[in-house]
Amino acid sequence: MKQFFTTIKRITKTASISLWRNRWLSLAATLIMVLTLFTVSFFVCLLIMVNSTTTMLRSKVDISVYFNDSVSNDQIFKIENTLLARSDVKSVDYISKEKALEVWKKQNSDNTQLRDIISSDYNPLPRSLDIKTEQPEDLDAVNDFLSDKDYKPLIKEISYRKNKDLVDRLIKITNFIKYVGWTLSILFVAISVLIIYNTIRLTIYARSDEIDIMKLVGAGDWYVQGPFIVEGIGYGVVAAIISSLILYLTAKFSLPAAGNYLGVANVSAVVANISYWAIILSQLVVGIALGTGCSVWAVRKHLK
Amino acid sequence: MTGDIDLKEKPKDEKKSAKTETKTGTEDTVIEFQNVTKQYSANIEAVHDVSFCISAGEFISLVGPSGAGKSTLIKLLTCEEKPTSGKIVVAGRDITELKKKELPYFRRKVGVIFQDFKLLPKKTVYENVAFALEVCDAPDDEVKDKVPKIIDLVGLTRRAFSFTEELSGGEKQRVSIARALVHNPKLLIADEPTGNLDPVSTWEIVELLFKINKQGTIVMLATHDREVVDSLQKRVITMKEGKLVSDQQKGKYNL
Repeated sequence: MKQFFTTIKRITKTASISLWRNRWLSLAATLIMVLTLFTVSFFVCLLIMVNSTTTMLRSKVDISVYFNDSVSNDQIFKIENTLLARSDVKSVDYISKEKALEVWKKQNSDNTQLRDIISSDYNPLPRSLDIKTEQPEDLDAVNDFLSDKDYKPLIKEISYRKNKDLVDRLIKITNFIKYVGWTLSILFVAISVLIIYNTIRLTIYARSDEIDIMKLVGAGDWYVQGPFIVEGIGYGVVAAIISSLILYLTAKFSLPAAGNYLGVANVSAVVANISYWAIILSQLVVGIALGTGCSVWAVRKHLK
Repeated sequence: MTGDIDLKEKPKDEKKSAKTETKTGTEDTVIEFQNVTKQYSANIEAVHDVSFCISAGEFISLVGPSGAGKSTLIKLLTCEEKPTSGKIVVAGRDITELKKKELPYFRRKVGVIFQDFKLLPKKTVYENVAFALEVCDAPDDEVKDKVPKIIDLVGLTRRAFSFTEELSGGEKQRVSIARALVHNPKLLIADEPTGNLDPVSTWEIVELLFKINKQGTIVMLATHDREVVDSLQKRVITMKEGKLVSDQQKGKYNL
């Protein structure tokens, strides 16, 4: 056991000396690894955020059916009951003219001119039913049901398209981010693999005299190959730390702006789905795996 | 070993060999070359059908013009190259069949020194010698115990903490001898160790090799230096164009 630690100590010492002697090379390898880890984790975070925003909006999507003023309340209640009888409908709210006015006043509270256009004496706001379904997908069926020609003369407007468009847009953004994220991630992983591989190869060349001597005096395989693998692990660890730091700063300064863009007031709710520790940990794992993999590859190829 | 070698009929080796007789050693044979041939490519045959034995405690000079196959012979003995055919038996084991994993352990039993020393220039004498132990899993206290003793043996205690690039040629060669000896090898191979040295240093190194040999290590000295070989009065193996042309006890440099 003691021997094991002595070995690890000596290998680590050799690796750190080599890292320092080739510090510019090491810097390049570490930076490209930072870029890779940052790109991958940035897109993963972005996806998580957009996904949770989409889910949030989806649950808010509903159908509002606005009725012509000529329709009697009885007719509306009849439709309400028919809708409630459907298994896919979660709830139906009747919005009377008075309630609609209340909502109008609330929405335009800071614009008195607009607010005062409508009053209880002159109220053109239609009565409506707000329908929520069990699943967002069921909205289509409800929409179809209401679009039936039997109801056409009664209904002024169905406000379904508007919200649906927003959700559709978000899904499109999600797909775009997935596409770009994958492409960039693969590209950067490929670049960093090549650069780390070459860096290790160059350090092998730089130390070829030393390696020859090591083999000559009967060094065990671990002493010859170990330092390069430790070097690769070193790139991974340092890169993961730097990348996590950059990611944290990016999140801190850009989240409010992102929240505005997506139209989500409560950004922290979206971010709550992201565990910083999980991200740091997975960055470490990916970084170490990348560094070690490239080192082993280079060592296998150039240290026979 | 008194110089007479048993001549016995032995079955041919698996591959090919022009001669059928193989020299086998006596009881105290440590190293035995059996019809060793090394071909680098179709036209280049560095060593052709070489057979000889080395007994414990021997001091052998290996002489021959450049391109005679001396270096290849040494590389075969240190397992850097594998023979095309034939066997090399060291301490009862055919080293041509050593597995990759066993190689480091074998190398620790064979010390090698070179004309160009192969020292680490950015390290001190002490570190160069300690390095050889450290990379072989030696514990720290063993390193601390052994290294000063070996440095003392080669007479460099005064310079133990000088960087090797500050040393003279003769001193550098002493460091490389110290490094080769740190594993207590059974065999010390010196590949032109005095090729770069002035006459005084040359004699110091030869004397040191002699001293090491007296302590029981087999020394194999590959050299061009006629004076050294003639004055040694030891066994001389002469090679020419890849073949062993003479093997004499108390031999002379006769090329």
